[in-house]
Amino acid sequence: MVIDMNVHPVCYKAIYDEDEFHRNERVFGFGLMGPQDYDEIFTEMAVGGVDKKVLHPMDLTTTEGCWVVTNEEAYKIVCDHPDRFINFASVDPHRPDAPEVLEAAFEVLNAKGLYLHPAKQRFYAYEACMESIYQICERYHKPIMFDAGLSWEPNTPTKYNHPLAIEEAIMSHPDIRMCLAHFAWPWVREMVMLMIKYPNAYTDTSVLYLDSPEESMRRLFTEDMGPLWFQRSFMHQVMFASNTPRFRSFKIRRGVEALGLPQDARDALLGGNALTFLGEDDAR
Amino acid sequence: MMKLETFSYLTKKVNEYIMITSDVDDAVARSGIKKGLVAVIVAHTTCGITVNEGLPCVEKDLAALFERLVPLEDDYAHAHFLPSYGATGNNSQGHLKSALTGNHCLFPVVDGKVVRGGAQDIYLVEYDGPQRRKVFVEVLGDE
Repeated sequence: MVIDMNVHPVCYKAIYDEDEFHRNERVFGFGLMGPQDYDEIFTEMAVGGVDKKVLHPMDLTTTEGCWVVTNEEAYKIVCDHPDRFINFASVDPHRPDAPEVLEAAFEVLNAKGLYLHPAKQRFYAYEACMESIYQICERYHKPIMFDAGLSWEPNTPTKYNHPLAIEEAIMSHPDIRMCLAHFAWPWVREMVMLMIKYPNAYTDTSVLYLDSPEESMRRLFTEDMGPLWFQRSFMHQVMFASNTPRFRSFKIRRGVEALGLPQDARDALLGGNALTFLGEDDAR
Repeated sequence: MMKLETFSYLTKKVNEYIMITSDVDDAVARSGIKKGLVAVIVAHTTCGITVNEGLPCVEKDLAALFERLVPLEDDYAHAHFLPSYGATGNNSQGHLKSALTGNHCLFPVVDGKVVRGGAQDIYLVEYDGPQRRKVFVEVLGDE
């Protein structure tokens, strides 16, 4: 089972609306791409050997006055193809009805986790308003995916995305599995530190801001980190992810495969850790 | 007169040869143009149009040649973040293979039919798939 943990379905034809698409180009920061139908998406998944994709909506009600993919749109895609997609929820922590929005996503839309973007949503993970959100995640046993490190999206002060700004949330809620996306790049060492300290801290491989996929993964796994750190110290805390549409999943997969990881580490990275993170592998 | 048709192909592999000869023949037949020229033009920069003998072995040799000329891993300048896309350009191989292949081909049209050599087939060649690709078939001439 190969699971891509970080996908933004902004180009999915199933939820395409021309005005929203062009607005999202500006708000999300992408261009020169067009809507993709399911045939194209599944073909690309087949080339990359990807079985499932985790879809992230984004609630930007108080910062941008809009959503970049709503919880309902992510749910619609899952309803169309429940065997290929998993929906996370999003909520803007500063909206007054944030707890209600999140509970509805868990209760009604069966969201499997929560996606938060501290820089884009302009909040610190340790703010008081976050506590009710964490409590809901604890009550529903849902993991949280934080965007972390560099975000290309416009209007994203990186200070909110620094891994150290998320540490207290990880520390204070050991029962919530929390992923800091993109290896919190460029703060890879800080991310490593968090994974050593906290078993509920996870990260993902959607790092391709420089160079080719092979070069990027090689640098991440053998230079930014020691060449055996992943296998020795946190083999069960790194998940495969692409950050589609910025980076195509089959190319990230190519870079991961070029690492030549041992079978157990490779299996954990490509899907096993995602199942644990999603709460679908209680045995681990 | 001119008649334009646009074809859409979903490629299935990173590198792929897709024979489109019959689509071009059909477009010319539908155009009603009896005498003139047909242009087959691809709308992308990481795939190409080429003409060759429609044999799997020829496709295999061509693919191997292009792979030797333009390897996957090299010090490509294009492997960096592209603000206009909000993505990293990691398809230099596709761009270079596309440049070597060319983006179009031309054939005469006589008596409402494409005039090709006996061994000539028309290929859309994918170098950065899978993707949905657009090919223009423009027929120019007289009815």
